[in-house]
Amino acid sequence: MEHLVEVQDLKKSFLTKGGIFGKSSDVKAVDGVDLYLNKGETLGVVGESGCGKTTLGRLVLRLIKPTSGKINFDEVDITNLSERKLLWLRKRTGMVFQDPSASLNPRMNIRSTLKRPLVVHGIKDKNTIQKRIIEMLEKVGLNEDQLERFPHQISGGQQQRVAIARAIMLNPDLVVLDEPTSSLDVSVQAQILNLLLKLQRDLNLTYLFITHDLVVERHVSDRIVVMYCGKILESADTDELLGNTMHPYTVSLFSSTPIPNPHLKSTNRFIVGGEPPSLIHPPRGCRFHPRCPYAEGKCKKVEPKLVEAAKDHFLACHKFEEIDLLTYVKRFWKLMERLN
Amino acid sequence: MKISNILRLMFGYRTSCIGALIILAVSSVAIAADVIAPKHYSDVDIVKKLQPPSWKCIFGTDHYGRDVFSRVVYGTRIALWVGLLVVLVEALVGVGLGLIAGYYGGGLDKVILAITDMTWALPPIVLALGVITLIGPGLTQVVAAIALVSWPPFTRVVRAKMVSLKEREFILAARSIGESSLNIIFRYLLPNIVPSIIVLMTLTLPSAILSTTALSFLGFGAQPPTPDWGAMLSEGAAQLIIAPWIATFPGIFIVITALGFNLLGDGLRDILDPKLKI
Amino acid sequence: MPLLDVKGLKTYFYTNRGVVKAVDGASFTVNENEIFCLVGETGCGKSVTALSIMRLIFPPGKILSGKALYKEEDLLKIPESEMQKIRGREISMVFQNPMNSLNPVFTIGYQISEAPTVHFNLSKKEAWKRTTDLIRDVKITDADTRAKCYPHVLSGGMRQRTMMAMMLSCNPNLLIADEPTTSLDVTIQAQILDLLIEIKKKRRMSVILITHNFGLVAEFGDRVAVMYCGKVVEIGDVTTIFRNPLHPYTRGLLRCLPIGYKRKSKLGFIPGTLPSPIDTPSGCSFHPRCEHSTKSCKLREPELVEYEKNHFVACHLYER
Repeated sequence: MEHLVEVQDLKKSFLTKGGIFGKSSDVKAVDGVDLYLNKGETLGVVGESGCGKTTLGRLVLRLIKPTSGKINFDEVDITNLSERKLLWLRKRTGMVFQDPSASLNPRMNIRSTLKRPLVVHGIKDKNTIQKRIIEMLEKVGLNEDQLERFPHQISGGQQQRVAIARAIMLNPDLVVLDEPTSSLDVSVQAQILNLLLKLQRDLNLTYLFITHDLVVERHVSDRIVVMYCGKILESADTDELLGNTMHPYTVSLFSSTPIPNPHLKSTNRFIVGGEPPSLIHPPRGCRFHPRCPYAEGKCKKVEPKLVEAAKDHFLACHKFEEIDLLTYVKRFWKLMERLN
Repeated sequence: MKISNILRLMFGYRTSCIGALIILAVSSVAIAADVIAPKHYSDVDIVKKLQPPSWKCIFGTDHYGRDVFSRVVYGTRIALWVGLLVVLVEALVGVGLGLIAGYYGGGLDKVILAITDMTWALPPIVLALGVITLIGPGLTQVVAAIALVSWPPFTRVVRAKMVSLKEREFILAARSIGESSLNIIFRYLLPNIVPSIIVLMTLTLPSAILSTTALSFLGFGAQPPTPDWGAMLSEGAAQLIIAPWIATFPGIFIVITALGFNLLGDGLRDILDPKLKI
Repeated sequence: MPLLDVKGLKTYFYTNRGVVKAVDGASFTVNENEIFCLVGETGCGKSVTALSIMRLIFPPGKILSGKALYKEEDLLKIPESEMQKIRGREISMVFQNPMNSLNPVFTIGYQISEAPTVHFNLSKKEAWKRTTDLIRDVKITDADTRAKCYPHVLSGGMRQRTMMAMMLSCNPNLLIADEPTTSLDVTIQAQILDLLIEIKKKRRMSVILITHNFGLVAEFGDRVAVMYCGKVVEIGDVTTIFRNPLHPYTRGLLRCLPIGYKRKSKLGFIPGTLPSPIDTPSGCSFHPRCEHSTKSCKLREPELVEYEKNHFVACHLYER
């Protein structure tokens, strides 16, 4: 299959100042990530806050400049292109953010918000613009009478629909969805997920779906990568990852996720202690070792590489051959699937 | 926000409503000065000099026999005009610098901030006096001098707003559709700062008026016989014991006008931009 | 005999734009030694319900009517001085954002010891011992040094633990937790909630868990009340509600969850949007979005009736 996006050893660090006299230090938000996206698929990125998943999304769209590494989009190296040379990429990509009220300009009505992408990319004819806007409104399920409204005059779900419409206005290939449903209520979340899935089918979109919610990720993604502290710990096809989870962190993530089914209440869960480490001084060796109950000497010294542990199932763990955590995962994902 | 909403909110804030009424009254006086004033401001009637307030001339007359009421009324025009002009120039300079500093950041930001802080640290009247000695006295010069020394609040507010707005996701969203820097500044950032600028303008207007009157009081501003409130105060000060009305009435008008703008500004701030702190 | 019995609670907010009927006749009971969940979407009034029980409603808000019987005493009627004794000692509350509830200029040890020192008249030494014990109880290691820390040096999870220690400091019988883990990551959320369960078992107290997350309800709740537009529309045991939801709204919500669907298949959804809290629909508030809506739904508000044992629902479909 053709790769739409290829990312190699991507790194991004931000400089922070430490107080008045403190030394400035590097926050390593993304620290050596390799991944690819196939055309037309949904790649899920799962992780907790501060794991670098949002930074990764922005890097792929080149909204920020990587510190090192390489990003290819449709076989063009976009790693170091200047903002002016990236205009074609902006046309072929779109982005949707977590908080729709923050991602829309509060002083711009819906019509202008939707018009801007067209104008920026050289479509000036009024009739064409009007036709395209109406067509797009229909696609995302909004009414024409909402065009003159401002973002604060419509509901959160409608705001997110506008944001989605803006992202796909120019028929892009890739849309990066950064927690698109996390700030929405359950009933609205379902509507937005349905919409995203429908648009993907109709327009053959490729999604990079970033979220911390595994239940949502399982529903939408073809493949999933699990990030922790700027690194990928595990990646595989969704079914493989859920059915054959190997990394202790992934297991703890699955196990901590509350599942809306009371029959699973008694399941013994694999809960790890501690909290994610600082990104300024990440732990030596495996980044998860301070929280991992199976960590031993080697984990503390040598950083595990991402290796293919099973077919198309990549893993960064020294101990995966010795430990078997499937008992914590199997039952509960089976129960999720059994309802099919 | 719809006009009707603003009106309704404004009536919710009683003090700002009083402020608006005061300004409305003062502005109408300024506009209709020719109708309201019984005499022209420079009409001299030496026979009737230093007359106390009476039914015929309610604010009395000065030592040239000019009608104080007429002079105060015409003075409204000058005060508002000068205040508005000063604030507009201030805003132009301050907002421009603030936009540049806030958007581009880095070294440019540091230089602009340093200049801003230095200007702000100096006492404005003293600085304005310095400028006046360089460019000479007169009303236009006073406007220039004051505007030149009191723009820093605008730069500060605009820069602070820019820095916080720049981090908002809608700016990133604008970049993700390929908007240029210029478009981001003028279509996305500036419209979100305008309310703060309007509020700041209303709040700086009184101090602009006070500064011009202060400079006129010191004799650097409007030259006689221009009915400037500050100049009238200074003329009246000489006769404060024998004819207190000459200085009192312009003084009252200065206070009322400044109060009106301050009340309105506070209310506007609550309505348009609750987070603005000056 | 329930520990807390809320009947017909009404709390309105009188804003410039109109009257917001935040809680509009909510009724439910909380039994001893149980975790009772209040679940609903944004603006359904679940937080305001909790604040009303604590009598922490300030103008423009007002508790209009209703009862909140706690140990046979109506919390909405007793004088404020009595209520102050109830708060903290009998009922305490944990909020979503612990940083807003902690005072940044005092050490956490001081903040934890403050309430019990006043309530129980403790000496400095006793108070310190009690404080470090509490810090150990909420599984913060190295209690003696941690007690001398200021809130800003702690992580989000630690702060929420500190909040819990504060809330537990006077041995309350009822703990109200308002979205206690919403701002936390899932692995930390699991730690905090496991801790909550453990403490609840040890101290035999009741917990009202306010959340929008059905996963938490299923995982931790004993009984659950579903709220919509300021009213409780369904109450029952957690297993019953998930197995046999009655109210069309509850059914719709459960169908919205991306669970038990084939990957990438269409999820169930509730048509329409939440009504504005100023202009709630007549009769049953859910009728404009309900597939079973009839004429009487528009006209008459359904009452909460016991459909089967311990399973209450407010819907005309089930009225007999």
